[in-house]
Amino acid sequence: MEGRAPELMGYTSLIVERQGPVGWLIFNRPEAGNAMHAVMFSELEAAWAELAGDDRVRVIVNTGTGASFQTGLDMVQLARDPAALREQSRRTAKADLHFTAWHQQVWKPVIAAVNGTCAGGGLHFVADADIVLAASSATFLDPHVSVGQATAFEAIGLLRKMPAEAVMRMALVGRYERLSAQRAFELGMVSQVVDPPERLRDEAQALGEKIARNSPAAMAATKRALWQAFEHGLTEACRAGGQELVSMWGHPDQEEGPRAFADKREPAWQPLGRTQSKER
Amino acid sequence: MGQYTSLVVERRGPVGWLINNRPDQLNAMTAKMREEFADAWKELDGDPDVRVIVHTGNGRAFQTGVDVTEIATDGVGFERYRQSVEDNDFHFTAWHQKVWKPVITAVNGICAGGGFHWIADADIVIAASDAQFFDPHVSVGQVVAMEAIGLLRKMPAESVMRMAFLGRYERMSAQRAYELGMISQIVDPPERLREEAQALAEKIARNSPAAMAATKRALWQAMEHGLTEACRLGALELVSMWGHPDQEEGPLAFAEKREPVWQPLVP
Repeated sequence: MEGRAPELMGYTSLIVERQGPVGWLIFNRPEAGNAMHAVMFSELEAAWAELAGDDRVRVIVNTGTGASFQTGLDMVQLARDPAALREQSRRTAKADLHFTAWHQQVWKPVIAAVNGTCAGGGLHFVADADIVLAASSATFLDPHVSVGQATAFEAIGLLRKMPAEAVMRMALVGRYERLSAQRAFELGMVSQVVDPPERLRDEAQALGEKIARNSPAAMAATKRALWQAFEHGLTEACRAGGQELVSMWGHPDQEEGPRAFADKREPAWQPLGRTQSKER
Repeated sequence: MGQYTSLVVERRGPVGWLINNRPDQLNAMTAKMREEFADAWKELDGDPDVRVIVHTGNGRAFQTGVDVTEIATDGVGFERYRQSVEDNDFHFTAWHQKVWKPVITAVNGICAGGGFHWIADADIVIAASDAQFFDPHVSVGQVVAMEAIGLLRKMPAESVMRMAFLGRYERMSAQRAYELGMISQIVDPPERLREEAQALAEKIARNSPAAMAATKRALWQAMEHGLTEACRLGALELVSMWGHPDQEEGPLAFAEKREPVWQPLVP
C-alpha cells in the first residue's frame, strides 16, 4: 500500500486514486461527456464513501477526463434504457440523491476542478463542492429548459453560493448562452482560473496539499458548521455553529496546533476517522 | 386588456413589453400606476403568445419609487398604503403577481428607492451603461425594507447595506452592479438597450414555457426555505414535468435538428 494506492473497487466510469494526502475522484466517460448513467451513479456513491473513509485522504479533488467536466444525466441511456434509471428517478422525486459529496455527507474538504464543459446536472458538483477551480477553457451552461426539462437542485444550491441573477439567467437562457470561466470567477462561483488549462490538475493538487496541512477534525467541524448554515436563518445557524465550535474543545489538535506553531514545526494532526464522533 | 395611462404594454414577437411611462416624473409610481402594474402583469402573464416579459422605462429614469409629490399633496399621504404594507399584500411586481414567465428588467437610466423592487423581483437584469442605482429612503426620513431584503438574497450583502445607508449621497454605476452580479449585462451604447433585451428575450423564448415556469417556481420558492427543504420542494417541480409533452419534444427536436414545438403555457 505504498505510493499510489490500488483501487479498492473496480470502477468502470470513474478513476479513484491517491496522490499524497489528496484523493482524486475523476469522471471517466470522456466519449460521453462524462454524463452519468446508472453505473456511474452507483460508482459515485461508492467512491465518495471510499475516499471519505480513508484516513490518508485529507482532501478530495473532483475532476473529469476529456473535453467535459460533467454534463449531467446520460440522455442516451435515458432514451434507450429508461428502466436502468428508474431508481434514479425515484430518488429524484424524493430529493434523496447519493452522487455528490454533500449528498453523501462527506466532511472532508472537496475541491471541484472544472476541466471543461460543465452542463446541466454537472452543476451539482459545482454547487456541492466547497472550493471550485476552473480551467480557463471551462464553460458553464444549464440546458434543461431547452430540452423540455425543469432545473431545480443544482440551481437551488448555487443560489446559496453566488449572485442569484446569474443563476437564474443560466437556468432560463438554457443552451443558448454559456458562462465563461472568467465570468464565473468574477461572480465568485469559482475562486481560481487556471491558465493554461493543462495545469489544472497540478494547481488542484497544490491547493489540496495546502489544505491538507490543516487540522482534519477542525476542518470537518468547520464544514459542518458552514453547510448547516444553508439550512437556517442567521441566528439559528450561529447557534448550531456554536455546537461545532465546542465539539473541538479538548480535542488533541487544539493543543497540537499552537504548540507546533511555537515550535516552528508542522503539526501532527489526529487522523479524522478516530476523532469524528458525530454522524449527521 | 387594460387602458393604461402610466404604462405602455405591447408585444414584439414572443416578447411582452411593460414600459414605465411617466418620463417627466422619472417614472415615479402614483396610486394609479400601482393599480396599472397589477393589471399589466396579469395581462402579459395570461397571454399565451407572450413567452418572456421585458420591463423597462421611458425617459432618463427606469423607476424612482413612490411619487412623493402625490404623497405630499393628495391629503392622504402614505396612509393610502398602510393596509397593504401591514398585510404585506402587494401587486406591482412580477413576483407579487406570481408571474411564472421569465421576466427581464432592462434598466434604462436612474433606478432609485422603490425602483429596486423591480430589480429584486426580476429573474434577469440588464442595464444601459449610463444606468445608476441608489436608495434615498433614509435621506428623506423613510425606512427601506422589502426591496433591500429581496436584494440581500441575490447579491453580496455589503453593497446592499451600503446603498441603504448612503441614501442619496452615493450612486452605484452599472459597471459596479455588473461586477457584483446584480446585473448580468451592460449595454453600450445605452441606446441599444431595448434591442439587446429583445434579443435576449428571443433566446429565452426558444425554451420550453412549461419547463421554465417549473424552474422559476423551484428557484423562487428556494428563497423561502433552508437548502434541504428547498431541494425537496424543488423535486416536486421537477416531477411536475414528467409526462409533459415538452419533455419528449425537446430531445426529439434535438435529435432531428429542428426547433422544438412547445406546448403553450396554460394560464
